[in-house]
Amino acid sequence: MRPQNQSRRSFIKGIIASGAVVSTGGLMFVSGCSENTLSPAAGSVERLISLNINGTVRRVDVLPNETLAMTLRNKLGLTGTKIGCDRGECGACSVLIDGVPNNSCSMLSHRVTNKNITTIEGIASPAGELHPVQQAMIEELAPQCGFCTPGQVISSVALLNNNSNPSREEARQALAGNLCRCGAYDHYLNAVLRAAEEIA
Amino acid sequence: MADNPTYKLIGKNFTPPDIEAKVTGASTYSEDFRAEGMAYVKMLLSPMPKCRVRNIDASEALALEGVYGIMTADDVPVFPNPGEQILTNEPNFVGEPILAIAAVDESTAANALELVNVEYEELPFVLDPLESLYPGGPDAYSGGNLVSSLRIEEEDELGDIGVVSHKWTARDFAAVDEGQLPMGQATMDWQYGDLDAAFNDAALVLDETFVTACNSHHSMEPRSAFSYWQNGKCYVHGSTQSQMFVVPGLANLIGITPDELVYISEFCGGGFGSKGGAYAVMALPAHFSRLISRPCMLRITRAEEYYLGSARASFQGRAKLAFNDQGKMTGADIYIVQQGGAKNPFGDFGAAGTMVSLVYTPESMRFRAIPIGTNTTPCGPQRGPGQNQMSAALEPLLDKAANALGIDQLEIRRINASNHETLTGGENRQKVSSSYMLDAIDMAAERFDWSNKFARNGERNGSKVIGVGIGQGYHSAGIAGFDGLMRILPDGKLHIHTGVGNLGTYSYASTSRVAAEVLDMDWDNCVIERGDTSKHLPWTIGQFGSLTTYTMSRANYAAAMDMKQKLQEIAAMDLGGNAEDYDLANETVFNINDPTQSITYAQAAQRALELGGKYSGEDPNGTNPLTQASVAGLAGSGLIGVARDTTPLNEHISAMVATFVMIELDTETGNYEILEFVSSGDCGTVNHPLGLVGQLRGGACMGIGMARSERQIYDPQNGLPGSVGLYQAKPPSYLDVPAFMDVSAVDQPDPTNPMGMKGIGEPPVGAAVGAVLAAVSNALGGYYFNRNPVTSDMILNAASGREQSNSPLQILTQ
Amino acid sequence: MSTKDMMPNFDLFQPSDMGNAFDLLEQYGADAWPLAGGQDSLDWFKDRVKRPVAVIDLAGIPGMNGINETANGIEIGALTTLTEIAESPLIRDSYGVLAEAASRVASPQIRNIGTLGGNICQDVRCWYYRSGIDCYRAGGNTCYADTPEGLNREHCLFEADRCVAVTPSDTAPALVALDATMVIQNTDGMREVAAEDFFIGPDVDIERVTVLEPGDILTSIRIPSTWAGANYYFEKVADRETWDFALVNVAAVLRVSGDTIEGLRVVCGGVQCTPRRLNGVEDIVRGSARDEETIELAAGSAARGATTLNYNGFKIPLMENLVKRAIRDS
Ligand SMILES: Cc1cc2nc3c(=O)[nH]c(=O)nc-3n(C[C@H](O)[C@H](O)[C@H](O)COP(=O)(O)OP(=O)(O)OC[C@H]3O[C@@H](n4cnc5c(N)ncnc54)[C@H](O)[C@@H]3O)c2cc1C
Ligand code: SF4
Ligand code: FES
Ligand code: FES
Repeated sequence: MRPQNQSRRSFIKGIIASGAVVSTGGLMFVSGCSENTLSPAAGSVERLISLNINGTVRRVDVLPNETLAMTLRNKLGLTGTKIGCDRGECGACSVLIDGVPNNSCSMLSHRVTNKNITTIEGIASPAGELHPVQQAMIEELAPQCGFCTPGQVISSVALLNNNSNPSREEARQALAGNLCRCGAYDHYLNAVLRAAEEIA
Repeated sequence: MADNPTYKLIGKNFTPPDIEAKVTGASTYSEDFRAEGMAYVKMLLSPMPKCRVRNIDASEALALEGVYGIMTADDVPVFPNPGEQILTNEPNFVGEPILAIAAVDESTAANALELVNVEYEELPFVLDPLESLYPGGPDAYSGGNLVSSLRIEEEDELGDIGVVSHKWTARDFAAVDEGQLPMGQATMDWQYGDLDAAFNDAALVLDETFVTACNSHHSMEPRSAFSYWQNGKCYVHGSTQSQMFVVPGLANLIGITPDELVYISEFCGGGFGSKGGAYAVMALPAHFSRLISRPCMLRITRAEEYYLGSARASFQGRAKLAFNDQGKMTGADIYIVQQGGAKNPFGDFGAAGTMVSLVYTPESMRFRAIPIGTNTTPCGPQRGPGQNQMSAALEPLLDKAANALGIDQLEIRRINASNHETLTGGENRQKVSSSYMLDAIDMAAERFDWSNKFARNGERNGSKVIGVGIGQGYHSAGIAGFDGLMRILPDGKLHIHTGVGNLGTYSYASTSRVAAEVLDMDWDNCVIERGDTSKHLPWTIGQFGSLTTYTMSRANYAAAMDMKQKLQEIAAMDLGGNAEDYDLANETVFNINDPTQSITYAQAAQRALELGGKYSGEDPNGTNPLTQASVAGLAGSGLIGVARDTTPLNEHISAMVATFVMIELDTETGNYEILEFVSSGDCGTVNHPLGLVGQLRGGACMGIGMARSERQIYDPQNGLPGSVGLYQAKPPSYLDVPAFMDVSAVDQPDPTNPMGMKGIGEPPVGAAVGAVLAAVSNALGGYYFNRNPVTSDMILNAASGREQSNSPLQILTQ
Repeated sequence: MSTKDMMPNFDLFQPSDMGNAFDLLEQYGADAWPLAGGQDSLDWFKDRVKRPVAVIDLAGIPGMNGINETANGIEIGALTTLTEIAESPLIRDSYGVLAEAASRVASPQIRNIGTLGGNICQDVRCWYYRSGIDCYRAGGNTCYADTPEGLNREHCLFEADRCVAVTPSDTAPALVALDATMVIQNTDGMREVAAEDFFIGPDVDIERVTVLEPGDILTSIRIPSTWAGANYYFEKVADRETWDFALVNVAAVLRVSGDTIEGLRVVCGGVQCTPRRLNGVEDIVRGSARDEETIELAAGSAARGATTLNYNGFKIPLMENLVKRAIRDS
């Protein structure tokens, strides 16, 4: 057993981000040098993994510290998934993992190797026919700047898959994890209800 | 909003051409571009609010595998103090970029940054303008605290760097009671009417000190940029709400001429004023790309967006208001100290004065203001900059006056509402072109059912109490003098070229429809050319300031009239008679006296190619050089209509919104729910109904955020910003805004716009923040916070009789 | 200051059984980081403040998931997601205070992956600490929040010891209220710790918030049936209804018979480094009628002994009011 105090401190290396401060009373940031573990330890994950995305299995070289959002956007060309915060605070990066909405910025790609991943690119039919949610969002002029829209579509599709006839309040709760700074909330809700009618 | 019978396209909904890409994820924002061999740029930011970089040692970082290079302030141009710098050795806010590293991927760049050693010399900093104004107080900029062009005092020593150190006297500070705003020498000072008489004869005088919050823009897309050089041209993919307006500034930041720049901004994930023109950091990848000969991507993180993006300026203000016994505001004496931020401040303070003069129409008014630099994130314009802070500050006070005078809260707003004759305040007072604010107030009051709803104000149910409130918002809504450009191709299609940008209002498209309306085009035969300067775009206003709809409908009207004239001339040339004998319908030019005599637009376009000269664009009369260059690029491709909007404009274009809310406030938790929300606006003729209601509701959401949760905080001890994540800075979520908002518009034409249109983007924000704050004060039986946002802790303190934890003039606090 | 977003390098392990996980934890000691849903962990890595050498993804370990009825209550695997807990009919019917607490965490997406174990083990949210500066909790020798100028609206009322940060968890107070026990395993075996003892304050260890030590895994949470089906109350007050941490939350269970409150447990989050059990309130109320007088007395004593900082005085009436509602409205 190690002394209690040692537990977290050893993660905290050095005293200030990027170098010494020539001053007193200055802000001291906790950070340090990067530990370049270029050769992975035995038993750690393989870099080459398979991801099942929108019905297609894709082989991709992924770092152990890489998030799904980065893999999708930087390695697989699926830039429809947006990064608004990279911190789970906006929902712009939402994707479906086995049908459940998740923030792809806040999960390691290695976590989802044996899951079905659906991104915004996989919502319309392969022939390009829009999902009723997408069509309804167009009709309600729901997107303004459009940056939150892929996430709104993902959460709406997930909702309607589980509940084909949601109330406005249920839709509001289901979409609550998708921030829209343009404030198009009302229009997205209108679209969800319109799509529900369409599907019924 | 009923269908407008006058027009075929105006007043009708349509599907904007870019919207499908938004719902499928095909829309491309600046960070969505990839190129072979590209490098990823990451920046090292200042950890201190003010310091000097003494030494940089990057040797270890450069030795890291995958690192392509480093750029420091020595590698980029320097811009006049206190303007934004691309990189600097003298940062004056936490998060200002000092250097950047480019590497094979972002991880490597981030790892390399940690290996850079920087030595800093810490300098005194200031967060509070009043502290800086105090004799001997610290200055935020190097060399001063006030931009010298803004000063008025001749004796001030003009620093050679464009800033001066402006101080008040200790007597100025001693002259007021504690908690009251001191009022030393201002830089803006104007007055009209007999203020002394107003205050002497007043039935009621209010003298209130207030503060408003600094809040960030929180655009969902951070300001990322991607750049590369090809065939002597610099290509930049940027995140800006404007398109052509960005070009001169960005070219200057990169150090090239506008014709050497190809600027692409097809989509923009929100700007709200913070991306109106070019900004320094977007030029960094261009510089880096030139240095390392690779395409460079600069992805801005959310934290960086908070650090170095932009925020609405705080106000520390004082409002002395005189009312007669009817509730008419007879005098207003307003003083605003504006948090200037670390860079050139935006003129929120000036707009604040105009707002008061137009929304409350005081019979006499004095307005004084001064913006003072602070070592905080640069303060740029945010949706209703200045105007909306005043809505937050003054709308609750109007209720205070109404209550004291025994006047209905709706009535006091009606009595003071502007009309078609209202004049702005300021050095040059201007009449408004039109104001239907009274109609908007009445429309919203009726939809809200004011008297019955207000009868419920104060109604209690356990710990819950009903609050009802009204808010008003204003913004100027149009200017003149920009260019329109369009082409009819030999296939008969109308290509409308627009340089306005795409921030999500769809006004790039709805203002293009003005041209189609004038030319009686089937909308399906129209193509909008936009989003990329290589598509030959005209010089147009940027997409900000509630200006696009008014300004660009005029410009497109002017160019469409030029097109019409040319169509008539060509028809006359071929079919005989004079140009005036011809008119347009169904994409043909026909002889009024003999409609069988006609040519199609397609034929006319074909003829234009043969005719050359002005018809196919060789003579772009009197337009901006950037428009002329675009026309030159299009010459010979079809019949070209191009013109500058030269119709004189001597009036002030004003748009306003009135908002009514009913809240249920829980005195035990300090939380409240907005039960009902009704807004009506005066924006002239309604152009795009769905777009309009989207703006009214979207603006309301921002106003609700200003009222209930958004504020940037800074630690007074070390200048560190505390709101650098969305969860800390708190823009409203689905569950923080009403589940449904009733919005409408008066739909009365403005006489100075060919279609009667005015803008509307910004006033809904002010109307909402004012209404919600007024409702909270009304629910609490007339407790005035004189501060926004009003958070649950403040409500709890008020409800439980505790003192508020902030002192009256404290800003940037929790 | 570097631009916080990209995680530093680490080795990632995905053990498929408990034994393998313990081996790794043993091997890396304090340099190992168990990863559950990652909703707190990844933020720390992106900030480049916490820098484990080995990240041990617990998700592949069988048996740490799900909700099971036991002889005297239920057992919840530490990796069970907050959504599963919020939606579980078993928990909603019998342990509603926990379902309600779980449903008020963060956002739907975060609840879909964030685990109960992670939710109670998450680190404090003090904004100074999170910004990466060298305060006490980060191994330094000062607290930036507990100063005359420090912005400490979210900070504590009770049991400060150099550090004034509070527990941010919504489910922790509910688990303390339900008298849960934490099942902890390491290579030496298994131990059970009462929820009340699981959370530790800065006086015990300023750099940790639970008794977990390197090598430990929280495998499950056991809830006795003592309070199954009891009256309950959960309320969270925050600035926003999504993504926001509690300024104060309250979790309470009450056993009422006729007019009399026979027993109760009342716990507040957001007021102290650990969930604060309000023993005084319980003593006042236990055995009393649920009447105005009892409720007022209880509420009035809820925040006794509080030491306010410059910006958090409102937490006193808030605590009092939430306790009042817990007893009145459960
Ligand atoms: C934007 C945002 C908003 C949030 N809002 C809230 C909120 O309102 N209320 C709230 O309560 N929380 C909130 N959270 C905090 C928290 O991230 C989530 O609540 C989530 O439950 C954490 O669980 P996790 O499984 O993802 O944790 P992880 O990040 O995986 O783990 C957190 C910590 O616990 C340790 N740990 C996890 N599981 C075990 C185990 N089985 N054994 C040993 N150690 C373990 C990890 O090593 C780590 O130190 C929020 C987080 C974010 C990002
Ligand atoms: S309250 Fe605790 S975590 Fe926050 S600054 Fe002080 S010591 Fe650090
Ligand atoms: S980008 Fe993932 S939640 Fe914001
Ligand atoms: S449409 Fe712009 S953020 Fe939602």
